[in-house]
Amino acid sequence: MAHTFGELVVGGVLFAPFVTYLLAALILIVVLRPLLHVVGFAKMFSHASVAELSLYVTILSLLVLLF
Amino acid sequence: MVAIVSEQPFTVANIPLSSWSFAIRVWLAMILALLVSFWLQLEAPASAAVTVGILAEPTRGQALDKAGFRLLATVVSVIASIAITGLFSQTRDLILAAFAVWIGICVFAANLFDGYRAYAAVLSGYTVAIIATQQIDTPQHVFESGMARGAAIAVGILSMAVVNTLMFAPDRYPRLVAQLAVIRRRVRQYASATSHDELGSSTIFLTLLREIVALRPEIASVTLESSSGSVKSVAARSAAVGLVAELQVARILKSGPVDVDRVACDQARAAPERADDSDLTAQRLPELVAGQNCVRDVASEALAWAGRDLLRRDEEVREDLLALRSAQWPLRAWRAPLYRSYRTAAESGVRASLWLAIASIFYVWAGWPATSVSLSLVALIIGLGATTPNPRGFTVSTLIGAPIAALLTGLLEFIILNGADAFPLLALAMAPFTVGAALLMKSQNPLWSSLGRVNLLFIPVILAPSNPQTYNPQSFLFTSFFLVAAAALLLAAQTLIPPVSDDARRMRLLAEAHGELQGPAHQNGEASQEATFRDASRIGQFLAAGGAQDSRALAEMLSCFDQSTMIRLCDAKLMPFTDGPLAPLADEARTAIVNRDTSSLRTIAYRLSEMARQKASIEADVAACLALTSKILDRGSGIALSQEAT
Repeated sequence: MAHTFGELVVGGVLFAPFVTYLLAALILIVVLRPLLHVVGFAKMFSHASVAELSLYVTILSLLVLLF
Repeated sequence: MVAIVSEQPFTVANIPLSSWSFAIRVWLAMILALLVSFWLQLEAPASAAVTVGILAEPTRGQALDKAGFRLLATVVSVIASIAITGLFSQTRDLILAAFAVWIGICVFAANLFDGYRAYAAVLSGYTVAIIATQQIDTPQHVFESGMARGAAIAVGILSMAVVNTLMFAPDRYPRLVAQLAVIRRRVRQYASATSHDELGSSTIFLTLLREIVALRPEIASVTLESSSGSVKSVAARSAAVGLVAELQVARILKSGPVDVDRVACDQARAAPERADDSDLTAQRLPELVAGQNCVRDVASEALAWAGRDLLRRDEEVREDLLALRSAQWPLRAWRAPLYRSYRTAAESGVRASLWLAIASIFYVWAGWPATSVSLSLVALIIGLGATTPNPRGFTVSTLIGAPIAALLTGLLEFIILNGADAFPLLALAMAPFTVGAALLMKSQNPLWSSLGRVNLLFIPVILAPSNPQTYNPQSFLFTSFFLVAAAALLLAAQTLIPPVSDDARRMRLLAEAHGELQGPAHQNGEASQEATFRDASRIGQFLAAGGAQDSRALAEMLSCFDQSTMIRLCDAKLMPFTDGPLAPLADEARTAIVNRDTSSLRTIAYRLSEMARQKASIEADVAACLALTSKILDRGSGIALSQEAT
């Protein structure tokens, strides 16, 4: 069965469903930041920025896959 | 023998590797932004490339910080464009007047902020010009144009963020830690130096103060660098605020020793002399000698207290730096408020409105076709100039840089590319121009650096890459001509109505510092350290307006800084006495401070010192603080008197 995507309509303007996922993943990352700080996420990796980008991509992919 | 080996950065063609990596990152991000925009068939791919040019910042955090503000400002400006177009539809003159007022409001806001907040304010201004002015004849397209621009900006931001992350763009955090640690060491050296060269000491003080205050916008950009960024930013801010407070105590301590002793000794010496004059009996002499000792005690205690305060503040800064290094919350989270001169900001805003109005009148009068493009470029130059210390200087550098950018773009479009339609060719052809401009931007020379930035911005603006590329010589000539005409017209308007001069800025800041000194000590519930930082940021603005050359005004400014700091400190120290048995004495001290009655302050200090049971008690601290305040106020009124005399 094909995956159906919810449509985002703002003031009559149709946005691609991917934009919703991008924003949702961004909000999740922002909410997760204090938790990541507490567990010392940035100290676990030599290149924390790449690790955080990967985390963002993982969350984005999971959102697309699950919802 | 000690050999000092300074670390030389690795260079290629005499240019540091870090500059090369920065330039290549900018080029890659620009190409990625164009590729994605073409692939998504966006209407304004050039905006994506220009976004990358604007976000070309040396560190990842700074680029992300600027990107966030750019996106926010675009949303604000699209809303403002729709509102202005909706309100003044079909009325050309009113719409132009509304643009001029809006630009004025944005420049006013930009003058109240610093760093990327100021940039966001001016961006909200000139984006309205780009979206709404260019659609002045087709108002129904304002929303579509805004959406197209927003989408292109989002693509530009994402491209820059991904390239910066994958190419390991440096973080600001490690350098910030090192910078703050070095500044702390220099503040300690400044405090412990025994030199009595007042001029040299004052120069060191001002240099340190300026360096600390300049870190303020950069501290904010650390927030976006990692998940611990916000904690690091808070710790760094606290350290910076603590450093200003420590530096101020060091200044008081350095200027204090000789003078305070002299005042104390003068008074003590005067006491026996007065006794001789009035033929007092010999029985009162022991009492006077005791009084003399007491005066000496207060003076030396004042110095000891300042020394203790310096050590305490240094310890606080050390703790904050430790918290910063280990990414922990600091014990105290200070805010770092910025001084805002509303009148100067309003004057700058009004002038910006007038410049745009003059340009509009000229274009309406000239009746040229498609002048809306040129008018939006005038707004762009006004906006970007408002974030620099010298707006007219920025217009001049645009006037020099724009023809160079036009020439280079002509070379790229009609000689190198000349009809090519393959994307790899565009990418390769853009490489030398983008990399070259980015390398120039990193130059130490301000002229080369600003020319680099102008070229990085205007080459994609004039080239206006699109899919397929039109290669229209007429549109190239028009855009180039309008760009140069916009800069020339704005320069003429700025000659007619000059920007707020440095002298006026300095005088205004000085007058505001004096005015604030007369007002109530506590404002907006700020802690005394925070208020000191705000005052320090005012000195930073004063120095940026050429204050170092105006030694007389600078001395007055520093005197106001010392006085307001000490008054705030006394106010805080007297607070615990409000309900106690010493409340009347505390009230008396407050009244003496308000009236600048320094002899009463000294008397209160001696009385408090006599009451203090032990040296380190609260009473002794307050006595020391009052004694120092009386000294600083005396010196302040001395400076004021000498100003009046001259």
